Amino acid sequence: MLLPWVIGLFLLTLIPLMASLVLSITRVDPQRQGHGVSWIGTEHFHRALTNDTAFYTALSNSLFFTLLAAPLGLGTSLAVALLLHQPVRGAPIFRALVYLPHLLGGVATIVIWSWTFNPQFGWINQAIRLAYAAMDPIVRVFTENGTSDWLLPRWLYSPGGCKPAAIIMSAWTFGASMLIFLAALHRVPNVLHDAAQLDGAGAWQRFRRITLPHITPAILFNLTFGIIFSMQSFNEAYLLQNRQQNDGLLFYVLYLYRTAFEPPYQLGYACALAWIFLAVLLILILPLLLSARKWVYYASEK
Amino acid sequence: MTLRRTIVYLLLITLSAAMMTPIFWAFASSLKPLDEVYAFPPSFLVDDPQWSNYGDALTRLPVARFLLNSLLISAASVVGAVLTASMTGYVLARARFRGRSLCFFLVIISMLIPAQVLLVPRFLIYDLLGWVDTYKPLIVPAWLGGGAFNIFLFRQFFRTVPPELEDAARLDGATPWQTYWHILLPAVRPATITAALLSFVYHWQEFLDPLIYLSDFQTYPISLGLRMYQSMAGTWANQLMAVSLVALIPVVIVFILCQRHLMRGLGVVETRS
Repeated sequence: MLLPWVIGLFLLTLIPLMASLVLSITRVDPQRQGHGVSWIGTEHFHRALTNDTAFYTALSNSLFFTLLAAPLGLGTSLAVALLLHQPVRGAPIFRALVYLPHLLGGVATIVIWSWTFNPQFGWINQAIRLAYAAMDPIVRVFTENGTSDWLLPRWLYSPGGCKPAAIIMSAWTFGASMLIFLAALHRVPNVLHDAAQLDGAGAWQRFRRITLPHITPAILFNLTFGIIFSMQSFNEAYLLQNRQQNDGLLFYVLYLYRTAFEPPYQLGYACALAWIFLAVLLILILPLLLSARKWVYYASEK
Repeated sequence: MTLRRTIVYLLLITLSAAMMTPIFWAFASSLKPLDEVYAFPPSFLVDDPQWSNYGDALTRLPVARFLLNSLLISAASVVGAVLTASMTGYVLARARFRGRSLCFFLVIISMLIPAQVLLVPRFLIYDLLGWVDTYKPLIVPAWLGGGAFNIFLFRQFFRTVPPELEDAARLDGATPWQTYWHILLPAVRPATITAALLSFVYHWQEFLDPLIYLSDFQTYPISLGLRMYQSMAGTWANQLMAVSLVALIPVVIVFILCQRHLMRGLGVVETRS
């Protein structure tokens, strides 16, 4: 019964992992089948770290995106989970509506978002225009021009606007981590809340002292996978790239993909990039996992 | 208390509306005639809905073909994922053997290794097997374990099934396979449906793998088809929105059908036991 998984483990994970390591220290020439492999040691790693500006652009783009998108997603999903945890009628419907975008996230919604962000014909800038117009009388008291010379973001058509657009798009799909928080909230014993309330603890104190410790495992889980998924972002970068962004959406995985699957097909170099990617992920996640003992509370341990 | 309830309701309604705005916007855009889509200022209102946009958009490229391709890939993957993930999860939950915790550890670790790291070597392996330009690289992995998350999900659910159930079946002379198929799998229905739904959606939305492995556009799933649409010259926003919405319909249908079980499978709603 375990056989399919064992085959998968070797064929899809362990062997590729070792092959990747071998490839990263060799040069592969796809044109010369069989004889196209030569050992070059750490040359690829050396090249990435010292002689490749695109590598640094891609790495910093992904890091910037992740360091904003992951905490934002965590905060949003926790806040909405707390809201949906309230005993209200119709909660399942709201829950479904908030969760649905997570399932919808794919090429279709990226295409829809890009139209939404259209600087001229999209509704986001239209909303901003209306907000400017509403503020205009107040602003006019202080400056002569009012809001008439305030700028509208050019979103996906500018180096500065494309990352916020990508972050908003990713924030839209917070539903999965929200459900995990919701499940964790359901498991907080009501008895504790009732007892604390009798002792006169306020809502904030109860959240801080009872709810929060109980959901620390969910926080650890969501933050870890939030970081991994944000770092993996590829689709939006691939689909929404344009010249005006000045490589603002050149995410790491996109760079990896291009290195490997676009001419000149540098497979060995791409493997080296993949290992650097794994190392960066570990650097981001290990502190979280190692410090877990200190701040994550497991109810069964006490 | 009522004031607080009103505020909660207002927040929930605002939030749900905001979450659905891009979809409304796409729907409004998909029904506008060309001169209205590119009219200034943009508006959510449609004076004269052009349902013919859908017909035009769906016939410009073989969209029906793309949808069918996606359906085929997703269905084949779902069966494999549910079958092999439940088997693996069952073994990890129940079987007693040396190295079980090592296996479980490997499952968890493989969840943390992003597939992108293995992009190139997997491509070379599939190339060696002659699988490039077929659906095999998209479907076969689902039959080899079904994904770490699904395995984990099944393991958690199988642990809650009382062992007496299996013992009774064994005493009645059922083979392990019969026990598994007739007793255990039905006992973890929420997990089965959750895994099926999430695998279906995952494969329906998958973009990077088809992009790498498929080159003939007749074999494209809808994700690649949309990409083709988006990059084609002379594609107007109304038609593009129409095709995008059509691509989402299967996901919405599956979600509505499985919603209850999904919430149970993910532990949001307590399972009755």
